[in-house]
Amino acid sequence: MLKPLFKTLDRNAFALFCGALLFFLIGGVLTTVLPGMTEDSWSEPVAGLTELNEQQMRGREIYKREGCWYCHTQQVRTLVADTKRFGWRGVDAPISTPGEYVHDRPHFLGTRRIGPDLARVGGKYDKSWHRTHFRNPRDLVPGSIMPPYPWLLDENGGQEFEDLTAYIQTLGRAVDWRPDDDYEE
Amino acid sequence: MSAEALPKLQTEGALPLSQQPSAKWFMISSVVFFVITGLVGVVLSLKFIWPEFMGTAPWLTFGRMRPLHVNGILFGWLLAADIGLIFYVVPRLCGNRLWSEKLGIATLILFNLTVLAAVYTTLAGNTQGLEYAELPFLLDIGVTLAWVMFGVNVFMTIATRKHQKIYVSLWYIMGGILWTAFVYITGNFATMFTSGIGQANLNWFYVHNAVGLIFTPLGIGLAYYFIPVVSNRPLYSHKLSMIGFWSIAFIYVWTGAHHMIHGPISQWLQTISILFSLMLIIPVWTVIVNFYGTVWGHWDRVKQNPILKYLMAGTTFYLLTCFQGPMHSLRSVNAIVSKTDWIVGHAHMAVLGAFSFFAIAGTYWALPKMLDKPLHSKTLANRSFWLMLWGGLIYFVSLWVGGFMQGLQWHDVGIPWVDTVIFMEPFWVARILGGVLIFAGIIVFLYNVVRTLGRPDEDAESDTTAATPAVS
Repeated sequence: MLKPLFKTLDRNAFALFCGALLFFLIGGVLTTVLPGMTEDSWSEPVAGLTELNEQQMRGREIYKREGCWYCHTQQVRTLVADTKRFGWRGVDAPISTPGEYVHDRPHFLGTRRIGPDLARVGGKYDKSWHRTHFRNPRDLVPGSIMPPYPWLLDENGGQEFEDLTAYIQTLGRAVDWRPDDDYEE
Repeated sequence: MSAEALPKLQTEGALPLSQQPSAKWFMISSVVFFVITGLVGVVLSLKFIWPEFMGTAPWLTFGRMRPLHVNGILFGWLLAADIGLIFYVVPRLCGNRLWSEKLGIATLILFNLTVLAAVYTTLAGNTQGLEYAELPFLLDIGVTLAWVMFGVNVFMTIATRKHQKIYVSLWYIMGGILWTAFVYITGNFATMFTSGIGQANLNWFYVHNAVGLIFTPLGIGLAYYFIPVVSNRPLYSHKLSMIGFWSIAFIYVWTGAHHMIHGPISQWLQTISILFSLMLIIPVWTVIVNFYGTVWGHWDRVKQNPILKYLMAGTTFYLLTCFQGPMHSLRSVNAIVSKTDWIVGHAHMAVLGAFSFFAIAGTYWALPKMLDKPLHSKTLANRSFWLMLWGGLIYFVSLWVGGFMQGLQWHDVGIPWVDTVIFMEPFWVARILGGVLIFAGIIVFLYNVVRTLGRPDEDAESDTTAATPAVS
């Protein structure tokens, strides 16, 4: 029964074109367009999520420009190891939910962890820690292979450092996960 | 198994083969970008051991050079090489000439200007911040336009073909061009209208299909041409090629979400992506059986011919990389290997070991044919193969071993993060060695290509000598 069909596809370029497009579109639509309509959680912000202010937005642009997201993911996955490892002072990090990313454009979920995940890094370290760390990460973490970013601190009176740190301190804070409220400034 | 006749090789009553500037210049430009962005890769590998290496200026930091390496290899080298080879292969399978050489040259200029501009924007940190989609809006338009021009040229060539029967390479090429247009537009334009997890879903749809529905069909289509032609053997099975094509057309597109297994995305999407990832074994193994079957019993030809070596090693790497892929999507395996260097080893095996090997083989074969001269040196072609093969194996294996062990360490939360980084050092040193060998292979490839181009045309030379007195 299939034989005449395949014979046609062997000789008719237009039929082949249409078939290839149809096959592609079935999976394409069901995995991109459909979930865009059915998955409400993707567009419903969690209760504590606020939009970034102007300075934090500038910091986010620096995070994008310098490619921080190539080495740092922003997602605590549904794995015990993730919640423990990226927790802080004995408190497990809450698992990331879609509602925390609603305003992220572009998203920084990431694919590779050359450095640790940053989904809950906001409030873990204070500004002076970040200042030293950006100047030379190995001063604080011997063995780290993160590049130094002295120009963030030296140019324009360190404005870019201020902006970037302001953004970093927001990460993961939509969820109030520190029972002692011990977030660093 | 029925044996498909060899693809028809002769162009009928056409101009000399050397008058195919679009194909030729796409191949040449791609080799240049292969060298440049390959070198960037070597520099990046050094930064893992010396984090300050070449990092005193913002544009030389890891975060700027990584997208240059990735986009340069994918678009500047591999896609351009595939375009050039398709310009070479399609008229031969259709029994005619490329529909428009002028359009081909315009495509070449637009594409290469876009890639050159992308080198600047990437190093300047001007990026859309999405994997594989870093190029800013204006350059996305350049790529899209070039792709449409390329597509029109190929489809018109096929529409005006002299052979009615459409050989399997043409199915893959047509499918690849069509899917690429949709996949690229989704990844670079549709993503701009979304945010958060919805955007991530489109992003992974694009990233995965960039490999699966762009480089896979183009590379497999070319290998379907070059393996029978170079080995001078009929294709093993037409039926298998049919199953392979239609199953990849249906299955591949569903798998994007397997990049977010355990992540903040709906479970049903994760499960669907796992199921379809496993089903990918069907199209892959049909292709593999077909390629091996074609040369089966004639392995002496592989031994003697460096081009066939590239093709069959590429086939083997395609098998391996496409066995790893479905395995990575299993939740238990994914929990260990995801986000580690294992994946980097896997990605390099796909892009270098499989699809770049196909493209190198095609270039080694097609360029001398178009110039109507022999390849400069078969020995050097062999050398480039062994350098890339051993370099590649060292690269892949060191990252698999190191990455897997690091993945296990991440699950032992008693080990501080930085200790799992320090643990990777010897594997990263081995990766530098692998990278340097691969790069040496690329240099030998470039040298061989350049010497072939510069080789005096024997006939023309005797003509000139004869003609000289008359001219002067």
